[in-house]
Amino acid sequence: MTGQPAPTVSGIGLVPNGRYSIPDRDLALGVIREAVAEAGIDLSAIDGLYMPSPRPWTPQGFFSTYLHRLLGLETRRSIEVATGGTSGGHAFHAAVENVRSGAVEAALVLALERHSLIETTGPYFDYVATLFDREFETPIGLTIPGVYAQSLRRYLFEYGIEREDVAEIVVKNRRNARANPNALFDEAVTRREVLSSRPIADPIRLYECPAPCDGAAAVVITDGPSDGAAEPPVSVAGIGAHHAASHLLMSHRNEPTELPAIAESASRAVADAGVGVDAIDVFEPYTPFPHIEAIFAEELGLVGRGEGVDACLDGTTAPDGAHPISPSGGCLGRGHPPMVTPLLNHVEAVKQLRGTASTQVDGAEYAMTTAEHGHVNGVTATVFTTEAPA
Amino acid sequence: MTSYTEPFWSALEEGRFLIHGCDGCEEAFFPPSPICPHCHSTDVRWEEASGEGRIHTYTRQHTTAADFEDGIVVGVVELAEGPRLLAGIDARYEALSIDDPVDLEVRRYDQAFDRGRLADSPFYVATVRSE
Ligand SMILES: [Zn+2]
Repeated sequence: MTGQPAPTVSGIGLVPNGRYSIPDRDLALGVIREAVAEAGIDLSAIDGLYMPSPRPWTPQGFFSTYLHRLLGLETRRSIEVATGGTSGGHAFHAAVENVRSGAVEAALVLALERHSLIETTGPYFDYVATLFDREFETPIGLTIPGVYAQSLRRYLFEYGIEREDVAEIVVKNRRNARANPNALFDEAVTRREVLSSRPIADPIRLYECPAPCDGAAAVVITDGPSDGAAEPPVSVAGIGAHHAASHLLMSHRNEPTELPAIAESASRAVADAGVGVDAIDVFEPYTPFPHIEAIFAEELGLVGRGEGVDACLDGTTAPDGAHPISPSGGCLGRGHPPMVTPLLNHVEAVKQLRGTASTQVDGAEYAMTTAEHGHVNGVTATVFTTEAPA
Repeated sequence: MTSYTEPFWSALEEGRFLIHGCDGCEEAFFPPSPICPHCHSTDVRWEEASGEGRIHTYTRQHTTAADFEDGIVVGVVELAEGPRLLAGIDARYEALSIDDPVDLEVRRYDQAFDRGRLADSPFYVATVRSE
């Protein structure tokens, strides 16, 4: 073997999205045991631990250090990341880079979300208010759906898109989630049901918002295929990240309907993998609102500007279409534990490449995932493949 | 030391809305900062804006944090001088459209949120101007 070690996903573990009353500890230990067992390695082989910092309201603090004692684990790298929705993406990338450099041989990436412990319109919205400019914006009282509602309105205006058509992206993702045993939702919805659900921030309706929930997932990355692994290896072929000069809805350069961090991070990830976007067979992005999935397709160049909703209407982004997006159901169909969603996207990409996805894209050889934070201000993109590294 | 933005709040009390201009690139920007976000020059100065602008986009939030009234109308205002900012909009949601002309008006701050050192300072909202 020559060159850098090839980061390989050897094991995955997760709990279905939902509501859990057991301690954070038990959620973490469950998914760790599952991922390590699937990788066919001893826990003592893990020499790197990477995770999103648990949210401020999570009962157990200092989590990664707490785990080292509990598991009797000694590592050479231990990193908690706190960049909102990209935390899991950056944690995963740090693990990949450490395995590539040889700093770590077997990395454990872990994520936890305890959304059920916080009341959405109470302390959670208070927390969200602090994400805005404290002096000039927090006093206005904005919410995250309020931000995305404003980019949706502008998107409809700029491209003359029928508002009702946007609901079709929710219909697709809820349909895709039906077969996914780990999804929060197992029932499809109609366009009419989406459009008559409760208004949250005009014009966004309840079914167009990602449903917050609890979750946990773990991924083991080894420096090449693990001999004892229970499943075929999946390589991490490329990683890329970008943060635009923007904060939530505000940018000095871009329209609210432009999300340059998607295009930049994705082009870096495919270049790192040595392929083009046209090589990607399936996408599992972090796109929490339907128009963001549409703009995702546009930023990747899968369709032209303003054509992202049409790409759903004409089946382009369906599981059997030219560019399948979120065959797992994505944030809108699976439910959305924000700290865990990046790893759930990775898990779904890995399943696609193993050929074991709940809604399988035939013959998938390359899969791309993303994570984002704020109003897609920062993005991480990751390319996975069945191909053994050269 | 006083906050860099103190002149903004003092001027607002007198009914004037201050932004920043940059001598490095001639761009105007908001919020005020000693470093130009366009060219990174520190050759920046306070400038008085007309307070006139247009609605770039907007929403009505049906649910909000406990410190804020439900149903608040908020949006992005593009000032005549160029910069965009988020603001509450004192208007009926149904009556609004993108590109409506607005004025920034100084108002007593009336939400429960604790603004800390600025607790007694006025704030601003956008009101629709009839053309
Ligand atoms: Zn400048």
